[in-house]
Amino acid sequence: MEEGTFLEWLKKTGDFVNEGDPLFTLESDKAAQEVESTDSGILELLPDGPKPGAVIKVGAILAYLLAEGEPPQALDATPETTSLTPPVVYSQGAASVHSAKPVAVDATKATTTATTASPRARRAALATGVDLATVTPTGKSGRIRERDVLDASSKKRLPSVGWVDVPVTATRRIIAEKLERSVSQTVPVTITGRCDASAMVLFRNQLKAGDATPLPSFNDIILKIAAGVLKAHPNLTGRWAGTSIQLPDAIDIGFAVETEDGLVVPVLRDPGSLRLSEISRRSKQLIDAARNRRITSQETKDGCFTITSLGSFGIDTFTPVIQFPETAILGVGTITRVAVPLEDGSFASREQLPLSLTFDHRALDGAPAARFLQTLRRRLENPTAWI
Amino acid sequence: MLYRGRHHSQLFAHETEILMTSNRPHPSALELYRTMLVIRVVEERLAKSHQRGLIPGACHTYVGQEAIATGVCAHLRKEDAIFSTHRGHGHALAKGLPPRELMAELYGRQTGCSRGRGGSMHLFAPEIGMLGTSGIVGPCILQATGAGYSFKLMKTDHVGVAFFGDGAVNNGAFHEGLNMASIWKLPVLFVCENNQFATEVPFESVSGNPSISARGAAYGMPAVTLDGNDVLAVEAAAAEALIRARSGGGPTLLECKTYRTRPHSEGMGDFTYRTKEDVERWKTLCPIKRFKESLLKQNHATASQLEKIEKEVDALAEDAHQFAEASPYPSAESATQNVYAPARIGPPRDVPKPPASSRPLSFMKATLEALSEAMDADPKIFVLGEGIGVRGGNFATTSGLFAKHGPERLRDTPICERGFVGLACGAAMSGTRPVVDFMFADFVLDAAGEIINQIAKIQYMSSGRLTMPVLLRGCIGIGHAAATHHSGSYYAMYANFPGLRVVVPSNPRDAKGLLKTALTCGDPVLFLEHRELMATKGEVPEEEYYIDFGRAAVVCEGEHVTVVALALMVHKTLAAIELLAAEGISVELIDPRTVAPLDTETILRSVAKTGRLLIVDEAFAPFGVGAEIAAHIADTGFDELDAPIRRLNGKSSPTPYSAPLEAAVVPNTESIAEAIRDLCAE
Repeated sequence: MEEGTFLEWLKKTGDFVNEGDPLFTLESDKAAQEVESTDSGILELLPDGPKPGAVIKVGAILAYLLAEGEPPQALDATPETTSLTPPVVYSQGAASVHSAKPVAVDATKATTTATTASPRARRAALATGVDLATVTPTGKSGRIRERDVLDASSKKRLPSVGWVDVPVTATRRIIAEKLERSVSQTVPVTITGRCDASAMVLFRNQLKAGDATPLPSFNDIILKIAAGVLKAHPNLTGRWAGTSIQLPDAIDIGFAVETEDGLVVPVLRDPGSLRLSEISRRSKQLIDAARNRRITSQETKDGCFTITSLGSFGIDTFTPVIQFPETAILGVGTITRVAVPLEDGSFASREQLPLSLTFDHRALDGAPAARFLQTLRRRLENPTAWI
Repeated sequence: MLYRGRHHSQLFAHETEILMTSNRPHPSALELYRTMLVIRVVEERLAKSHQRGLIPGACHTYVGQEAIATGVCAHLRKEDAIFSTHRGHGHALAKGLPPRELMAELYGRQTGCSRGRGGSMHLFAPEIGMLGTSGIVGPCILQATGAGYSFKLMKTDHVGVAFFGDGAVNNGAFHEGLNMASIWKLPVLFVCENNQFATEVPFESVSGNPSISARGAAYGMPAVTLDGNDVLAVEAAAAEALIRARSGGGPTLLECKTYRTRPHSEGMGDFTYRTKEDVERWKTLCPIKRFKESLLKQNHATASQLEKIEKEVDALAEDAHQFAEASPYPSAESATQNVYAPARIGPPRDVPKPPASSRPLSFMKATLEALSEAMDADPKIFVLGEGIGVRGGNFATTSGLFAKHGPERLRDTPICERGFVGLACGAAMSGTRPVVDFMFADFVLDAAGEIINQIAKIQYMSSGRLTMPVLLRGCIGIGHAAATHHSGSYYAMYANFPGLRVVVPSNPRDAKGLLKTALTCGDPVLFLEHRELMATKGEVPEEEYYIDFGRAAVVCEGEHVTVVALALMVHKTLAAIELLAAEGISVELIDPRTVAPLDTETILRSVAKTGRLLIVDEAFAPFGVGAEIAAHIADTGFDELDAPIRRLNGKSSPTPYSAPLEAAVVPNTESIAEAIRDLCAE
C-alpha cells in the first residue's frame, strides 16, 4: 500500500492522544479503516493538513504530537530542521512516530508529486474531463504526462460533451481494477440452478419465532452449508497458478457487502467450524465495519470462495464476477413462492431459491462445478441436517 | 617633403590659369561656386535647426571643407558611385542630392533621402550614385573599392569614389582597400580630407608619418597632397585621377588639406582640443570666400552674377527647410520594412519529389555544381577568396571554374578578410553579385564589422533601394583536430542580426538547392558548410531545382519525441535514432536547414504531435539556436508540451586539439541517444 484517501480526524487539536487511540480514518485499496496512534502526546493538526478526500502517501506528515508545554510546530517554518518533535505520519496500517527529518523530506516529495502536470497533460485533462488529482503520474520527476491522463480517460470512457465528471473513490478504483483483472485473466462460466428453499424458510421462521439473537440471515445459512460442501469440492477453492493450483488449508469465505463507496468483501474465517449463531454474529460485525469504513485489510484478504447476494432486490439469476484470484463465486437470488407440480398431478406451493455459480473454466470443467452446485442445492433443501 | 607619389609633380600643379586652359573638361566656375554655397548655406540652416530642436540626432557639418566635395563631384557622372563618412552632407549635395531630401532626412521625415532611417550619418541616394555614408570609419574605402571592382567586371568606365577623413588612414580598411584597388587596377578615387583631427585627436599626434599622400607609394599608387580649400586645385587633381581611372590606369589617392571650422558635431564644445585662434585663422582661408575673390579679381564673374546665385541658394535652403518641416514623419509600421529584399513571388520551392533522375554526388561537388550553374547564368557573379583561383579552392569549392571564367571572376585575394568582405559589400551595392569564399568561418570574424554593420544593414538603411546579394561561404564545425581557429560554427551569432540569411545544410541535395537560392536572392547569405560533411555523398537530382530558405526538412517521422538538429548533428542523431528504435522509442527528426529564417512552424507542428522537444546543436548553448527554438516553442506551443524542452549542445569552451579533448566538447551518438531517452522518461 502506497497511498490512501484521508477521510476524517477522530481527534482534534489539543486532544491528548494515547498510544493505541484511533486517530483518523483512511480509505485504502480494500476498505476504510481507523488508524491508531503509535505514540502519545497533544495533537496539533496542521493548517495545510489533509482535507477529507485527499490522497495521502505513506510517510506524509499529517500532524504533530507535542509534549506538554512544547510550542506548536505549525508556526515554525522548518520544523524538520529545528525541532525533534516526532510528527504523526501515516505508515502501513498505523500512525507512527518517526524521526522528523527523513519523514519531512518524504512529505515534500508527496506534495510536489500531487501538483505537477505537464501543460499538455493539463490540456488533455480539460479535454477529457479527467480530474488531475485522480491521475497517477509516471514521469520520472513525478510529473503527470499526457499519457497518464489519456490512460485515466480511457478507463473512464466518458464522452466529454454533456457529461458531468464525478471523481470516483479509491475504493471504486480498486474495485474496477480488480474486476477488470478478473475478467481479463479468468475464463468465467456461469451456471444456474434452483433449489427448494421451503425447509430453509421454515427453519429460519422457527428461529425467528424462538427469538434467536442474532437472527441468522439466509446468507448466514448458505455460508455455513456452502463451507461444508466446499470441503468436499476443493477444486472450487483453489487459485490457478498456471502450472499448479494452490489449495487453501482452511475454507475462509468472503461475502459481498454493499456500502456507500461500493462493494466490500469481508472474509469469514472457517465458517464450516462455527456454529450458525456465531457465523451470524460475526457476519453482522463485519457488515457493520464495512458500512462504517472501519474494516481492516486483514478482514478482507485471503478468502477462497465468495458468496454474493442480490436476494433482496427480486433478482433471479445473474452472472457474478469471480473475486480474482479465487476460482468461483456463488450468486444468491431472491426466494420466490412457486407452484410446483406433484406426482399426483396436483400443485404445491413451494419457496424456490435461484443460484448462480460462476467458476474459472481454467481450473475445472463444467461437470465438477455442476456437481458442486447439485450437492449444495440438495443440502440447502434440507438445511437442518447440515447446520 | 620626404615622400612623394609618382605623379606628384603633375597633380600638384594647381595654378588656376594653367588648369583653366589645359586640355580637359572644365566645370563652370559659377557652378562650382554655387555648389559650395549650397553646401554652406544648407548646413548653416541645419545648424540653426539643430539649435531649435528640429534635428533629434547628431549633425556633423562640413563647413570649411566644401571645396573638396565640390571639386571632385564636378567631374562625376550619375553612374559613378560615391561612398562617404559621418560627415557626408557636402558629398551628398555635391553629387546631386536635392537639399530638401537632406534636410528632411535630418528632421527625421518620410521624404528624407533615407526615409528617416539614417539621419546625418547614414545618407543614401542610390538614384544619383550616392551609395551611402556610414557612421563607422573605414568601410567607405572598401566599398568604393568594391564599386570599382563591379565597374571593371561589368566593363563600364564608371568610377568608385571614397571620401574619408585623416582618421581613416590609420585604420586597416585604408591599407586593405588601397592595396586591393592597386593590385587589380580598379577604377577608384580615394579622397582623403585631411582636416587634421580624427574627431578631436590631432592627426599628427597619432601618425608615425603624417604625410598621407606619401602612403600611396606603399601601394604603388599615384598620390598627391592638395590645398583642399582651393576648389580649382581639387577639381583639377580629380579630373586627372578620374581620367586615369576611367581609362584603366587604376586608382589615385588625393590628400586634401583642409579644416573644419564648426565643431565635430553640432552642440559639442570645440576648444578643448584646438584654439579659437586656429579656427579664426582657418575661417579666413574659407574656400568659398577665396574662390569668390579670385573669380571677381580675375573677372570670371561679376558681383551681380554671384549675388544672384547667393539669393537663389538662400531661397533654396529656406525652401528645403519649409519642405522638411512640413513633411510627414514616417509611419511606425515602416520601421521594420526593407530589412530583407522583397520575397520571391511564386509557389514555394523545394527538392523535386520525386526527382526525374538523380546521381550520387559529394557535398562539395553538389555545391560546385550549383556555383558553376549560377556563374554560367549570371555574368555578374564573381568569387573572392584565398586560393580559389587557379588552385580551385582549399576545399575544391571552385575547382575548374578559373579555366572557364578567368581571374576577374575567380579572384585570389590577399589575406585581408575585412578588406575583401568590405569590397564585396561595395560590389553588391553597385550591381554585381560577389561570392566570398572565406575557407573557415573563424577567419571571417575579422570582417565581422563589415558583415554586421554594413552588409546586414544596407538594404534597410537604403530603405530597400539597394539590395545586398552577397554570398559569404565557408566551413564550420568540429571533428578534424584543427583546434579553435578552424572549428567554430558561429551561425547563432549571425542569426542574431537582422538582414542576414544563415544557411547550414546537412546533405549534398539540400546544399545544392539552397546554394542555388542563395545565388539568386537579394539578401546577404552566410552559407556555412560543415567540414565533416564535405566529402559525404548523397543523391542529388539531375534537374535544376531550388530550395527556399525557411523550410525545414522532416528527416524522419516519429511519435515520441521531436529532435531538431543541424548539419553534422543530423547524421549523429540519425545514428542515435537507429539505436533507439530497438528500444521502442520513435523519434521525429527536423533539420531546419536555414537558421535565419528559422522554420518554427514545422518544429511546432512536430511538437504538437510528440509533446517533446530536444535541440541537438554542436555550437555553444548560451544564446544559441536551441535557446531560440526553445523560447519560441515555449511561447507558441506551451500547451503542446508534455515535458520540459531540452538542449544538447557542444561544451561552451574554445575547441581543443587533442582527440579525447575534442571529442569531449561535442555531442556524439551515445550522448544524443541518452538525451532522447532521458527526455522520453520525463
